[in-house]
Formats: sequence, structure tokens, C-alpha cells
Amino acid sequence: MSTATSITAKVAVVFGGPSPEHDVSILTGLQAARELVRDGRETTGLYWSKTGAFHRVVPTLEALDFLEGVPRGAEELRLAAGPEGGFVAVSSRLGRSRPLAIDVVVNCCHGGPGEDGSLQGAFDLAGVSYTGPSMAGAALGMDKLAFAGVVAAAGLPALPRVLLEPETRETGFAGPYIVKPRFGGSSIGVEVVEDIATATARLAANPHLRNGAVLEPYRPDLFDLNVAVRTWPELSLSAIERPLRSEESSEILGYADKYVGGEGMASAPRELPATLAAPVEKAIAELARDLTARCALRGITRIDFLSDGEALFVNEINTVPGSLARYLWVDPAVSFIELLDAMIEEAAGRPTAHRSTVGADGSVLRSAGGIAAKLG
Amino acid sequence: MSTIVLSITVLSITERGGSLGWASAAACIFATALGGVRWLRVAQREHYLPDSASRFALRWWGATTPNLPVALVALAGLALAARWPVTALAPAVVVALGPLGLGLKGRTSPLRWTRRLRTLAIVWAVLQGAVAAVGFLTGFAAVICCAGALAVPALVDMSCVLTAPIERRLADKYVKRATERLRRVNPKVVAITGSYGKTSTKGYVAHLLSGSMTVVASPASFNNRAGLARAVNEHLVDGTDVFVAEMGTYGRGEIAELCSWMKPDVAVITAIGPVHLERFKTEEKIVEAKSEILESAGCCVLVVDDPRLAALADRCDEAHGSGTKRVLRVSGLGPEPSVDVFVVEGPDGLEVRAHGEEIAGPVEVAARPGNVACAVAVALELGVSATEVAKRLGALPVAPHRLEAQMSPGGFVVLDDTYNSNPAGARAALAALAGAARDEGRRVVVTPGMVELGPRQREENERFAAQVAQSPADLVVIGRTNRRALTRGFGAAGSLVLVAHRDQAVAWVREQLGPGDAVLYENDVPDQYP
Repeated sequence: MSTATSITAKVAVVFGGPSPEHDVSILTGLQAARELVRDGRETTGLYWSKTGAFHRVVPTLEALDFLEGVPRGAEELRLAAGPEGGFVAVSSRLGRSRPLAIDVVVNCCHGGPGEDGSLQGAFDLAGVSYTGPSMAGAALGMDKLAFAGVVAAAGLPALPRVLLEPETRETGFAGPYIVKPRFGGSSIGVEVVEDIATATARLAANPHLRNGAVLEPYRPDLFDLNVAVRTWPELSLSAIERPLRSEESSEILGYADKYVGGEGMASAPRELPATLAAPVEKAIAELARDLTARCALRGITRIDFLSDGEALFVNEINTVPGSLARYLWVDPAVSFIELLDAMIEEAAGRPTAHRSTVGADGSVLRSAGGIAAKLG
Repeated sequence: MSTIVLSITVLSITERGGSLGWASAAACIFATALGGVRWLRVAQREHYLPDSASRFALRWWGATTPNLPVALVALAGLALAARWPVTALAPAVVVALGPLGLGLKGRTSPLRWTRRLRTLAIVWAVLQGAVAAVGFLTGFAAVICCAGALAVPALVDMSCVLTAPIERRLADKYVKRATERLRRVNPKVVAITGSYGKTSTKGYVAHLLSGSMTVVASPASFNNRAGLARAVNEHLVDGTDVFVAEMGTYGRGEIAELCSWMKPDVAVITAIGPVHLERFKTEEKIVEAKSEILESAGCCVLVVDDPRLAALADRCDEAHGSGTKRVLRVSGLGPEPSVDVFVVEGPDGLEVRAHGEEIAGPVEVAARPGNVACAVAVALELGVSATEVAKRLGALPVAPHRLEAQMSPGGFVVLDDTYNSNPAGARAALAALAGAARDEGRRVVVTPGMVELGPRQREENERFAAQVAQSPADLVVIGRTNRRALTRGFGAAGSLVLVAHRDQAVAWVREQLGPGDAVLYENDVPDQYP
């Protein structure tokens, strides 16, 4: 199914980034890069450091090479915006040197600026084609409050979710509650609290909640159901996964459940495909398709639901999911390289930046007169 | 002019030893190359300190059999080579292969051709080349190349001295960048130094703070100028509230330099002990070097269990009055009226009191009270609430290799204290061993002894071995570095086993110990030690 575009494309895999999920992103990035190299593609590793510097690295490095920071032999790059933008070596004189020849960047950055639209916006300005969500899609996916608003406005089923502020006293639903960082891609910073007073107290104490928090009812009777959606070559859904919690006592599916041990999300305990009642399965498929257009999804997105076996609630979307959700494509089976190929083709064939200057034809300038006169 | 050139050319093609002399010179040059790889690695392992290769060469050639007689043969060969160039072949063989036991590439810590080592190797090769050139130009090629081969450690050290300014210049670039980054991110800086306990304390500080603020701690091995600059450049994320920096030192002025661009808000000295005494000569000089960390800090945390640190605390108070600099005295021993934070080991765990109030009841955690006291003092100073401190104390991250007890597949308890190199730590580990085995169980201590203790090394190792014998436990001595001192200190009390490498010791332990027994692995030294 690989076509000429994806096979001949010069691909770069970007991973890392100033995010709590920096380390997990390295795992995802190294997996993707290794897969592309194994298939004989021209591949560049782009490591984005915790402090925000880009580096060209060998695509076949191991996770341990990043243990102390920027790996040996890495070459620092700068991302330049503008018509001749792209990744430029820092050692060469800016402006004189040409950017690296890269056709498509495979975005493997989880959380933080790699998944919230920042990197996407920078790529758009630099004229770099990339996989995964556009700036708008990423920003919406990362903002739990805005996403909940979109879901609620469409009348899709979801648990209530409200903004938590220091002066919040009443939510309209009963406790216990889950407090989540408003912007954040993982379960880092998530807490279960008994009452609103505790929740507001955590706002000051928990550094992850500093940039805003949302409050939801805590429903221990619900379990997670995940499905991945891809938008190229056509909209298709993966098998549905039911992640398993490592211990009965753990209140929410934690960061450690997902990522600590093994190769990231791909090795977490799960039931796949999940055994589900037919109506639930059908509802998930319908909701996933609905959300794809509604939330401007692109690339591979993991949509997380909550369910008690009958009722179903949309929980959140991960627009750059761990391991790019490759492990979910079991029925029908889609190989990792096939998934990557489709994303690369989509990156080239479905641009993210749509600029228009229609209307800026000079007529306003001609009739403007002096600027000083306008200031009056 | 042309006459001089001509005469040099004539000289240069004459070798007093004839073709045998040429052959001997060539053999010496070959040996020099092999010796170079060997001693460059030692210099690398010893942080490129300017006398490391010579020091270790003396240690190997001078103190180990059969290397000592072999070295004497080599020197005799050199002396005779002036008369009979063919005798230079003996030193050539010795330099190429010896000292026996010090491998070319390294067993525990292999040679790594980093940029810095490559620079050093080039400078060293130029020096060796100059020596050989003198030999060829004077017609004494065999004897001078032979001397050059024997002088490899000295020339490696000389290269370390010559490259030091280059390395400094290169590091300046990263330090400048780090300074800029610190200014931009503007975190509070907690700087921690001490002869031991600084890595653990750094971990505890980061843990206690991270529930209520964003914290970045410098990675363990990044505790010098270049390392801390790298830690800032690569790890100090935008929006970080607190940067916890571990500062190590090999001499005076180093910490002062670090603090000039990384100004600590809170400075901590965990302990003073005879670590790196080889470099410092006296413990007083260690105190002086470490105390540089206090100079620009707004708040100083000192473990006053050590009278020298208590004196330092008093000196700080006197020098700065009470308003400008806060001095926090902490203790891991017990309540003294002047102590601000103390942590004591009660029957059910650590008990923590700060500023006259109980912070936490007994906390069951395997951490040294002094280090915990430092961390609690820092956390409270930076505004973490007492309840938050108490809540987080239970889950302190215990660093690996620091006295971790594990059950081996063979059913005996393994205490791993291989990251230790100080007498106090070794004593504490021995106490832990006593409790780890069953009453009738066998206790074994496996150790190469402690190193870098300078003039006190023999005495301290003798004393430790005597404590092992008293405890009582059997002793397995690894290598030759401290064999004599440990053997003498241990006496004839229990059973004593001598092995060359750690692997052999591990095999012996696996074979000998069973359920109810316990073994303590005390200290580990890299293979540049005999």
C-alpha cells in the first residue's frame, strides 16, 4: 500500500520536547524512526531537548543514549520561519545556509508544545510539512475544557466537566471529584479528591494545576475504552482497547501504568480487542467518526471513552498518542510501517497551513492617505 | 645555514647502535603507542587531573608483584641501552605489556574516544614525537625512544596540563550559555556539596519540593563546571521554580567559580570526610573548599554534627550578622538547643522536628538522618508546608547502590554499598550487615577497601578490617590496592579470602552462602586500581 510519495520522501522524526512526556516521546520517536530505517527510508532523527533546542541525531539510537540529555554526536539545529524556512544547522551561518532537505516531519512529541499546537504553528510558519494534527486540532485536543465544550455543544454523551478556579464553590454535580490539569496530555497531575474545598486547595499546591484545572465527577464504576482513528487514506478505526489497571486499588489509570516498564504504551496491560456489547461498539464507532470532523483530526488520534458496559461517555482525545497507537491496529491488522506511510502521505497531500491574501489587493492602501492623518 | 641543515641530516641518519639500534628504537615507539592507550585511559578515568597517570603508574609498578621486579629490569635496560642499544628491547616489551593486571582497554570502564580524549591524545603524540625526534637527530634513537616509552605516564600528565586551558576555553562557551539560561528561567538555586551524601540529599530535596513546585535536579555525574553547565543547558526547562545543583570539588576555587555564575539561594553542606584526600592533603582544606558554597547564598544549611561544620555555622553568623544571611543548623544525631532541624532514628523510623515543632512522627525509610534533616530544612525554607513535607517523607527515593538490601536467589541477604568510599559510611554498612543475617547466619564483607584517602588510606582500611573482624564477619579482599592494610587489620580472627577481581568474589559468595546468611559489598573501585 506504500506509494511512491512515502517511499521516496525524505523523512524526519521529531521527538522529545519540553514536556512532562519528553521521555515517553523519545520511545515513540525511536520506534518510528527505527521502523522507517528498517524499511530502507531516508530518515533523520530530530531530538527536541527539554530546554527547547532541536538536534539532528542518528535515527537508530537507543533510549539509554538520551539518559543524560542530548546524545553524543548530536548536531544542534535551529527552526527558522519564513519562505525559506526549515531546520538549519546552528554551526552554519544563518541566512546563508539552506535548511535540511526534509519532505515530511513525523511528529512524535507527546504533551506540551509538541501536542498543543505550538510546534504545529511553528512548522506552518517554517513551511515544514508534518504528520498528525494541525495547529487548531492540536490546540483543541490539548484543552480539556474547550474539547468538553465542543462535545457538549454537539450533544454527544460526556461526563460534566467544569473549570476549577480558586473561588469555585459549586459545580452542579456531586463528589468525589477528579481534578485534572486543563492543558496536559497525560495523567500527570491528576488527583482524586473528596470535595470542592480540597480541590481548590490543590490548585495552589499542585504545580501541574497552575495553568488551569478542570473538575469532573469521579466515577470508579467506569472503565476506560480507547479507539484509534486514522484519517488517511480514508477514515478508519482500530480495534477497541480496554486498558487494565495495574492494581485494583489504583484510582485512575496512572502514568506509571501506561509508561513505566517496557516500551511505553505498546506494552501496557490491556484487553484487545475488548469484549463489548454490540451497541457500545457501534456507539464508539459513530462517536469516533463524528469527532473526526468536529475536532479537525489528522494523522492517528486515540479517542478515550468511559463506560460501565452500557452507558458510554466521550472522555478525551490524544492527537499524538503514545507509540502513535500502533498497537491498536490488530483487527484488521495494519503494520506500523503502513500506518507511518499513510501519515507521511497525508502530510504531503493534505497541507495544514491555508493562507489567503484575497482582498489584500492594495485598494485600501491606495485610498488610505497619510498615516499621521489617521491618527488625528 | 645550509651547512647546519646538512650536518643535521647527516646526524639524523646516523644511529650509534646501527641496525639493531634502529630496530630497538622502532620497538620502543610501538611500545609507546600501546602504553599511550593504557595511560590515556587512566587519565580519562581520573578526570584528566594533571598527575593521575604518574600517580597510578607508581602505584602499579611500585606496589604490586611481579610488576616491581619487572620495572627494575626495564630501568636497567634503559641504563644499558646507552651502551648497548639492543637492551632497549626489554623496556619496550615491559611498556607494551605492563603493568600486569592493568588492561589496555579496561574491564570495568573502557576507554572512550571522546572529543576531549582525542585532543589529549594528539597533544601527547606531539610530545612523544618530539622526544623521539631528539633521539633521531642526536643519533641516540634507541636510548631516547626507550626513555620516551618509560615516560609515557609523565607525558600523558604533561598533556593534561597543556590541554587544561583549551578545555577551559571550550567549556566557557557552555557556561556562558548556561548563565544566560539561568537568568532567563530564573529559578531558585539550591546548591549542595559535601564529602558524601550530596547525591542522596539532592534526591530528597527534589522529592520534598516537587509536590508543590516544579523542580529540576542536576543528574548525578554532572557535578563540575562543564557538567552543571550541561545540566542547565539541557535540563533546565522554562518555568522551573527550583534548580537543585550538586557541586563537587577537587580543589580550592572550583565551587567559588561555580557559584559565580550559578548563585545559590540556599547552600547545603552535608558532611565532611576524608574523600579525595589524595588531592586535598588535609580535611581542613576540604572544609575550606566546600565552604565556598556559603559565600553568596542567602541561606546556609549545615549539618552541625560535625564540629567543623558547626564552627563554620558560627563563623557565618559572625561574619554576616543575623539579618542578611540565614544559617540553619541541622542534625542527624539529636536535639541540641541551637539546632533548627533535627532527624533522629527512633525505634520505628526517623523522627523529624523543625524549629521546635514535630514535623513527622516515625517515618520508615532507609535514609541517613543527616541527609533527611538537610532536605527538610531546605523544603521548609523554600515555603513547603510542614504537612506537605510530612506527607512526602514516607516515599523518599532511596538512591541505588546505597546500602540496598536484596534477597539473592540463593536465599541470603545482599547489602549493596558499592558506591561508598568513606570510613563513616563503611562503618554504618557494617552495622547494617550485623542485623541482616540470622543470629546463627554467616556474615561476609566483600571489599577492595577504600581509596582516595591519601596519607590515611592504610590506617583507615586497617581500622575497617579490624571492625569487620570484631563484628564478626568473614572478609573477602578484592585486588591489591588495599590488600596489605586489610589483611593486617583483619588479623587471624575469621576466614580471609583474597581474590583478584570482583567477579571471583561474587562467585565465591554464591558458592559459600545460603539462607540466613548475609553479604555486604562495600565499595567498588574501577580497574585502574591494582
